[in-house]
Parts: sequence; C-alpha cells; structure tokens
Amino acid sequence: MNPTYQPKTWLGQQANRFAPGLFFIGLVLLWELICRFGNVPNYILPSPSAIFIAFFDVEFSRWLTHLWATLRVALMGFALSILIALPLSIGMMRSELMNRVLYPALIVIQSTPVVAVAPLIIVLLGTDDPSRVLITCLITFFPLVVSTTTGMLETPPEMIELSQSLRAPRYRETWQIRIPYAIPHIFSGLRVSITLAIIGAVVAEFVAAEEGLGYFIQFSTSFFKIPQAFAGLIFLSVISLLLFKSIQWIQAWLFPWSLPKKK
Amino acid sequence: MEDNKMTDSNKSAYVSMKKVGHKFDPRPEAPMVVQDIDLDIHRHEFVAVVGPSGCGKSTLLRMVAGLLIPSHGEVSVFNRPVTEPRDDVGIVFQKANLLPWLTVRKNVLFPLKHKYGSYSPSDEKRANELLEMAGLTQFADKMPDELSGGMQQRVGIVRALLLNPDILLMDEPFSALDALTREQIGFDLLDIWKKNPKTVLFITHSISEAVLLSDRILVMSKRPGTVLDLIEVDLPRPRSSQTINSPRFAELTDLIRGYIYEPNVPA
Repeated sequence: MNPTYQPKTWLGQQANRFAPGLFFIGLVLLWELICRFGNVPNYILPSPSAIFIAFFDVEFSRWLTHLWATLRVALMGFALSILIALPLSIGMMRSELMNRVLYPALIVIQSTPVVAVAPLIIVLLGTDDPSRVLITCLITFFPLVVSTTTGMLETPPEMIELSQSLRAPRYRETWQIRIPYAIPHIFSGLRVSITLAIIGAVVAEFVAAEEGLGYFIQFSTSFFKIPQAFAGLIFLSVISLLLFKSIQWIQAWLFPWSLPKKK
Repeated sequence: MEDNKMTDSNKSAYVSMKKVGHKFDPRPEAPMVVQDIDLDIHRHEFVAVVGPSGCGKSTLLRMVAGLLIPSHGEVSVFNRPVTEPRDDVGIVFQKANLLPWLTVRKNVLFPLKHKYGSYSPSDEKRANELLEMAGLTQFADKMPDELSGGMQQRVGIVRALLLNPDILLMDEPFSALDALTREQIGFDLLDIWKKNPKTVLFITHSISEAVLLSDRILVMSKRPGTVLDLIEVDLPRPRSSQTINSPRFAELTDLIRGYIYEPNVPA
C-alpha cells in the first residue's frame, strides 16, 4: 500500500495490512490498562470491559426499542430532507432569482445551532415524531441542497449544448443530463447528511423523548450508569457507520458508473 | 422538400455565410471575435476550417449549428436564416461528449430519447446498423469509459448520424486524441463519410488533418478571425496514407503553414 515502506517479513506484511485495526485494538487496550491500574472509578471513565458487561445488563429488546426509535426519526428526517432538497436544488439551478432569494435564507438556517432551536420546535409542534423529524431535517438538508445544486450547475457546457442542439424541453435537460451528472455530488451530500441525521435525532431526543439511544444515554448518565451510557454511545457510532456505508453500497449498486475509477 | 434540395443542390449552397461577424459583448468598442466571413458549402462537400487557437473557429460552427446567433451578417442553411438548432444539422463535439451514465448504444439513441422522450424498435435497429458500420457492435453495451478515446469519438460521430442529418458539423473532434489514433480515425471518418455522404464543416487546428480530409479549406487569421484564404484541395480521392506522402500534400500544408505563422504576408 505504502510505496515508500515495504515490510520484508510475513509478520511485518500482516501488521502493515491490519495496521488500522491493530491501532484501534491498541487504543482499547491502553484504555483498559489506564482504567485498571490507574484506579479510575467507573462513573468517571468506565473501562472497555465494564462497558462490554453493561451492554448485556440491558435487555436486548430494550436495545432494539431504543435503536428503532432513533433510526426511525433519523431515516424519516433524512427522507424528508431528500424530498425537500431535490426540488429546491432544481429551482435554485433553474432560476437565478430563486437562487438569490433562497441562498441567504438557507445560510441563516444552516448557521443557527439546531440544539438552540430544538426546544422551540418542541413548543411549536409538540413532543412527538413530527418535531423530532423536523429537527433532523433542519440539520440534514443543507449539505444535500448545496451538493445537488453544485453538481447540476457544474454540468459541462458541451452536454448542455447537446441538449440545445436537439431543441429538447428544459425538463429533459434537467432529468436526463443535469441530475445524472450530479449523481456523484448528490451522493457525497447524502453521505454527509446521513451521519448528520443521527446527530439530529439524538439532539431531538435530548430535548424531548421517552425512547431512543439519545434518550437512553441521557437517562443512564443522570443515574450515574456511565458504562451503560458508553454502551449506548458505541451503539450510536456503529449505526452511523453502517448508514454511511449503506449509502456507499446503494451508490455502487444503482450507479456503478458514478464511482471513482480504480487502477 | 427533399426533392427540392436534390435538384437545387448544384446551384444553391447547403450552408451559406454572408459577411458574418460576431462579438459577445454588444458595446461598440468591444472587439470582434470573427469578422467578414463569406463561405458557401455545397452538397456533400467536406470543408475544413483551420486557424490559430482563439480565432473563432468554434464560434463559426456554433453559428451554423444555431447555438449562437451572429451579431453581424447572416448564416443560412438551405437558404433559410439560422435562428435555432435544426434537425437536419448534426454536431460532433470535441472530446466525444458522451454521457458516462449511458451505454454506448443508449448514447447513440440519446438524441431521440432526449428530443422525443422515447424511441422505437426500428430506431434501435438503425442505431445497431450505425454501430456496425463504425465497427462498434461488440462495444454497444459497454460504458463509454471502457472505450479508448478514438472509439469514444467514433460513437460521437455515430450519435450525430442517428437523426440522419444532411449537414454534419465537427468541432475539433479529434483534438483530444494521440497522433497515431488521430490519423487512423481520420481515415475512419472518410470511410463513414463515403458510406453516408454528408455536407461537412470540420473545425480543426491540425493543418495536415484538414488537407487529408477536405475538399476545401478556409484558413482563418488570429482574432478577430477573418478569411485569409480559401484553398481548393485537389488531392484525388479515396485518400490514404499514400496521400500524405505525395508532393502535393506537402505543398498544400506548407501553403497553409505560411498563413498561420506569418498571418500578414501571403505565402
């Protein structure tokens, strides 16, 4: 992999190959050692083994309930974002006026901390799913709009000339040329958005919820069940990672041509 | 209409430019990009335009294509002023300009899909025939990036032929290719042109390519692009690699080279 350093022995090659994993394992071991021999109390920083045990202290069905609650809000917010972002991007790409009017508004929404707005949204829409979905949507749709609009605007002028030379209707220029061209951009936006969706769902649960991993972490912390809170946190990271990966899988499955070329 | 074109073909030009000039900036002090271009292109004639970079060759092509309306003079196709792109004019773009998300066959059919929303089985048959004619049958289901640059541009030519245009505009179509591929695809183009006779306007900055392919060559000056000469290429057809070695070929390329390097002194 590394062009300058080539390990000679078999062991060296294996170590080189699994370096990222080994680094991670080393980190966890170090953490365990610090907690064991530094006498760090569990309610300050639980050791990895304590977190592992705490994971099984919670019933599996309860994990599933919390997991599903968070995933449901994150995915609904994410889906709503896509539904809003695509028409908005098309509008901003097609109309210079719309771009000029909407862009500052989007910047204002994006630069307002969602955590600060979340309680206000709860007051406005109540403590159920709609508020949580809206909070998630607010945090996820900006990167989508920006990446989709950028991709469509970056369509090479020759491709647009091809469309013009055929006197094709504008909507086909959008659907058959600009949107396909923007696919790689759209997917980089989706990858950013899906991880933000989990953040949005957790923020919403911090403000108002009776279930979900964010709620679980907050609840555990307030009862000093720190190892349990950590177990919830690890669950969250794993879900984020899996969602991120599944966006990549979907892209590879539906649009293999849009991936960067190997070799 | 079709008959009309055929009978008048010897008298009237397919493409006609009269005192054509253009500036992108309408202010009076703004510079002209091209100026005073007069050119008639007749039925099944192959006319090349050569000139230094930025001399407005591509601007000229865009005006014939109806993608750009000249600010001065008039461009007409079949005796009608060009006000918008026409179905009987096909364009081959620089660097093939294929859509990377479509297979080769779907790229060839794209003009129909894009213009009308769909295509019929007989259109598909025609696309397959064109692909076969260009020796691309076995690549029909491949994606464009699986093809070499030369093959990609052959697909670009086939796509321009799909709507069976009378006039084919080619905008430096081989400029992205390496020298060997370039020579070969020049012969490929002549072969395709022989099987599908078209009126061709071919923009290039390669002098030898212009001489090898065309019947007449319009030599343009630096910006603002004006006509330096209109050269009759009296080399016999069919042309081959033998043509390149003939003394007349060298004479013609030298003549043009003289214009390009010393634009104010006639060679």
